[in-house]
Amino acid sequence: MEKELINLDHIYKSYDGQLILDDLSLVIHENEFVTLLGPSGCGKTTTLRIIGGFETPDKGRVIFDGQDITALAPNKRQLNTVFQKYALFTHMDIADNIAFGLRIKNKSDQYIKDKISYALKLVNLDGYEHRMPDSLSGGQQQRIAIARAIVNEPKVLLLDEPLGALDLKLRQDMQYELIRLKRELGITFIYVTHDQEEALTMSDHIVVMNQGYIQQEGTPEAIYNEPENAFVADFIGDSNIISATMVKDELVRILGTEFPCVDKGFGVEKPVDVVIRPEDVKLVKRGEGKIPGVVSHIIFKGVHYEMEVQAGGFEWLVHSTKESPAGTEVDIDVDPFDIQVMNRPASEDEQALGVVDDV
Amino acid sequence: MNSKTRTFEKIYMGIIFLFMYAPIVTLIVLSFNKSKSRAKWGGFTFQWYLSLVRDSEVLNALANTLIIALIATVVSTIIGTAASVALMGMKRRTRSLVMGVTNIPMINADIVTGISLMLLFKVLHFEAGFVTVLIAHITFDIPYVMLSVLPRMKTISPSVYEAALDLGAKPLFAFRKTILPDLMPSVISGALMAFTMSIDDFIITYFTKGSGFDTLSTKIYSEVKRGIRPEIYALSAIIFVVVLILLLVSNRIKAGAGKRVKKSLSARGERIKNIALAAGVVAFSALIVVMALVYGGVFSKKSTQVFVYNFGEYIDPDVITMFEEETGIEVVYDEFESNEIMYAKIASDGAAYDVMCPSDYMIAKMISQDMLMKLDKSALPNAVEYIGGQYYNSAKAFDPENEYAVPYCWGTVGILYNKKMVQEPVTSWDILWDDRYSGEILMQDSIRDAFMVALMRRGYSMNSTDPGEINSAAEDLIEQAPLVQAYVIDQVRDKMIGNEAALGVIYSGEAIYTKRENPDLEYVVPDEGSNVWIDGWVISRDAVNVDNALAWIDFMCRPEIALKNFEYITYSTPNIAAQELIEDDDIRNSSVAFPDNETLERCDTFISLGEEADRLYNEAWKRVKSAN
Amino acid sequence: MFKDPKRAHALASPYFVWALIFILVPLGMILWYGFTDDAGAVTIRNAAAIAQPEHLKALLLAIELAVISTVICFLLAYPLGMILAKNKMSSQGIITTIFILPMWMNFLLRTFSWMTLLENHGVINGFLEKFHLPTVHVINTPSAIVIGMVYNFLPFMIMPIYNSLAKIDNNVINAARDLGANAVQTFLRVTLPLTVPGIISGVTMVFIPALTTFAISTMLGGSKILLIGNVIEQEFTLTYDWHLGSGLSVVLMIFIVINMIVQALSEKNDEL
Repeated sequence: MEKELINLDHIYKSYDGQLILDDLSLVIHENEFVTLLGPSGCGKTTTLRIIGGFETPDKGRVIFDGQDITALAPNKRQLNTVFQKYALFTHMDIADNIAFGLRIKNKSDQYIKDKISYALKLVNLDGYEHRMPDSLSGGQQQRIAIARAIVNEPKVLLLDEPLGALDLKLRQDMQYELIRLKRELGITFIYVTHDQEEALTMSDHIVVMNQGYIQQEGTPEAIYNEPENAFVADFIGDSNIISATMVKDELVRILGTEFPCVDKGFGVEKPVDVVIRPEDVKLVKRGEGKIPGVVSHIIFKGVHYEMEVQAGGFEWLVHSTKESPAGTEVDIDVDPFDIQVMNRPASEDEQALGVVDDV
Repeated sequence: MNSKTRTFEKIYMGIIFLFMYAPIVTLIVLSFNKSKSRAKWGGFTFQWYLSLVRDSEVLNALANTLIIALIATVVSTIIGTAASVALMGMKRRTRSLVMGVTNIPMINADIVTGISLMLLFKVLHFEAGFVTVLIAHITFDIPYVMLSVLPRMKTISPSVYEAALDLGAKPLFAFRKTILPDLMPSVISGALMAFTMSIDDFIITYFTKGSGFDTLSTKIYSEVKRGIRPEIYALSAIIFVVVLILLLVSNRIKAGAGKRVKKSLSARGERIKNIALAAGVVAFSALIVVMALVYGGVFSKKSTQVFVYNFGEYIDPDVITMFEEETGIEVVYDEFESNEIMYAKIASDGAAYDVMCPSDYMIAKMISQDMLMKLDKSALPNAVEYIGGQYYNSAKAFDPENEYAVPYCWGTVGILYNKKMVQEPVTSWDILWDDRYSGEILMQDSIRDAFMVALMRRGYSMNSTDPGEINSAAEDLIEQAPLVQAYVIDQVRDKMIGNEAALGVIYSGEAIYTKRENPDLEYVVPDEGSNVWIDGWVISRDAVNVDNALAWIDFMCRPEIALKNFEYITYSTPNIAAQELIEDDDIRNSSVAFPDNETLERCDTFISLGEEADRLYNEAWKRVKSAN
Repeated sequence: MFKDPKRAHALASPYFVWALIFILVPLGMILWYGFTDDAGAVTIRNAAAIAQPEHLKALLLAIELAVISTVICFLLAYPLGMILAKNKMSSQGIITTIFILPMWMNFLLRTFSWMTLLENHGVINGFLEKFHLPTVHVINTPSAIVIGMVYNFLPFMIMPIYNSLAKIDNNVINAARDLGANAVQTFLRVTLPLTVPGIISGVTMVFIPALTTFAISTMLGGSKILLIGNVIEQEFTLTYDWHLGSGLSVVLMIFIVINMIVQALSEKNDEL
């Protein structure tokens, strides 16, 4: 693992008496693509703004490269931000926009010129030097905003929902572009989004946040496959979240039927939640599986069929490449390693907190 | 943001707030001032609020202001909204051309707009008055409506409207149901802006109103010259409080609505709507009340009328009521600011008024132009009996046979000085050129009066038409200009009472009032001589109600009526019987009110000088005024 | 209505007629009167009369006072606009309450009231005396006129500046900071240039009325200080020389046209 670059140390922040960040601690390493993911109001943008210096935490410290920068003004920080809705300077042309930071630093004209053309090439917009921002499309403006930030050679690039205002196709193109840029620049990206697909596609490391707390962090695979609580499971991808009982280690009772699983250490006869991804639910012939059910609904989705199956009193969401028409009688089966067991939180607060305590 | 900047911001806003509201607080305080003079605090009173209800002139002006503003707002809102909607259907080029024209009244100086409309109305022979002012207001209101509606119109997609048409709705119905609701907040805020601008306008109204018609603004402007009557302070305070309450209430409503509808755009629209609605209701009900007060007598309309045209503040209002009650004749009473304005009015329409009260030289001019009627002395027993012979004699200067005019008020012009500031005896106009009193001198802001001072000082005639004499008088006035604190008319009164100046040129009538308010003041007629003037009642040659006009004049000559007027306006009365009725010995024997013959012999009366001389004076005066 | 030009023209025609008769024709009147004499002969004498010393002096003084007032209005209004914009006070709420409200108190009365405040023995000097501070002589000087202008026209500067400041996305300011600009650099390179259209319209809305006022100078200048507005007013109400008055108005219109061009240009830039 790379060297530690940013350390958020027990950060608290509130607005108008409402706590936005509650004792948030987070470590970000060099050369990582980190995504802060969560629904709106979860505190992800506030976290980014604290790193950028646009907000001061009420309590806690921001350590950057070993130095405390909590009170440092944004213009003194070695990081740059790409803002939501681009925030380009509409009174300057593209070249002046990109040159803004360099001019402040009194770089030579030649240096600036080189940097501008380098940056424009990097974002595939050479020749746009003398256009005005308003005459560019959303995607182009976004790329200019990125170019404007990276010419300053920051150690970290902060991106605040940069693709939020773009349409789907453009967004996907830009995702690849960002991955490419990240690779070429070799710097740290901290990316804020509420779009889980974006997060899964681009990140090295995802931080899932809700109501001011970090719910879970880890690689995209870990987040997707092993959500630690119902919030993460629900927020990341479609899933079947079912109340269940842990009979004993490696055995869980789901909807009255016992399933072998791989999880241990939850105790005996403890209430838990299980997460089963729709693509992990197997539909087999009646009599060959564990819970009998009936397909109630089917839609063709291109790569797979999406089905709803009534089984054991629960409506299962199932993705499969095999078509089972509505009314088909089936059995449901799940492989042990596809069952993700989670502690059931005792209260809402605890759910928000994502605390995994040993009951 | 740290607390230091917060504090700074608060202080800064506080200072601006103070700056904005200091004058308003001052006005409200003045509305409770017992003294009529704004320069003196005479104790607390509500009387101006009470007398406001009976002050038909102020209420008339208020009614005019509200009617004009309401009609102009409605008309300009309809025209402006229609134009805005239509413009969206036009080519971009047309649109920007139209907007260019629309912007003209906003960018153009008010004075140019006012003058241009005035010229138009003159050329078209529109009589200046209610209609011309209304047209002018609509003209400058429309841009405010369009500037509010157009940007909103641009954001409205026509698709809903087209969908409605597609579903079979008639265009007007579809417009009302689809576009208008979205447009409404901007229409209302445009209307509100138009209403505000209309209420506050002075300059354009001033140039388009003509004489005999006033809105509050123009009324106040003429009063600034003549001294503002306290009822106007009271009225302003009422208007201010009403608007303040309106805004607070609508804020409340919005705060309540805000809880339910979270900060949506519609809440804002709602709020503007509320303000507008409340403003409309208040304006309308105010209008009704005012109209009721003003035209209360309409239904009991008297069979006969008399149209009277007099200087402002030149009669005790009770006298008018008394005349009406006694004779059953309805008095239509209007005021003018200067002889010249009165002259212009009568010259354009001799039947506009029956009876007027101009000054000496103007009476001469009107006689020479055959604008007046010889008076039937048999109908004027009081005038014959009670007006002193010496005044008829003086009047012969402008009315050689005493056929046309009955003296109403008279007096001298002299120097009012503050004994605390001027120790030496004041005997000569020279003191007004004494640089020890630099910045302490008030001169009259009227051509003839100012030149009278300079001409008399040199020993010339105050009616001089000699270019050399006029020129040297002008040179003297230019030399004097740096010493002069201000050129004013009736402001001399308040300024002298408030110890703002040491010396002022003033009419003797005002001198009596000022001495009463500030005992340090003394009035003299300088040794070189001065102006003795007489204002007299005359009847227009084309008068309609001649008998009533004669009755009016004779009523004014009754001793007790003349006395009542004297006590109210403090200008000397030529009515011998009234003079004897004055209870206060000091006043009755006052050399200010009734100077001795010796003084009067030094004095002269203005006569009309003819156009050529008028032009010489005008040009010389302009040189004087730009000499600073 | 939207697409049907015939209907659009019908709807707009009342306004077109109105604008033609009451906006364009009257301006033509001024030009006609301004460039003819009593006999109806064409002359440039009336407009050229601006070069007469007493007229020129009034014009130059008016320009001087209008410039000073405009600058002061700008200096007062900009920080206020920033404070209001920063604290997100809605333009309909606080601003209306604070700045529209005085407009309901008559313009002349408000100005008149300054007389009472500024006089040698007026309210302000009364306070100064009370605290044993030296009194100020302001009334009937150009300073008094400037105060009156600033007071009356300040709202016209605050509104457009506030509107243009409120329009700036907070993140644009953050972006400048983020790119290394300190507070001053951010203000000079970003905030100020972005509010130029607002400033221009504010300047126009203050400068023109200040340049052409006659009521304020009459009241607070003691009729002693003649501005070009006073000269023109006198030509119409005192000496009845409409041709000369119109001629001088034409000169004023030149300033207004310059202003319109500047504003049109700034709007065009804004639209691009």
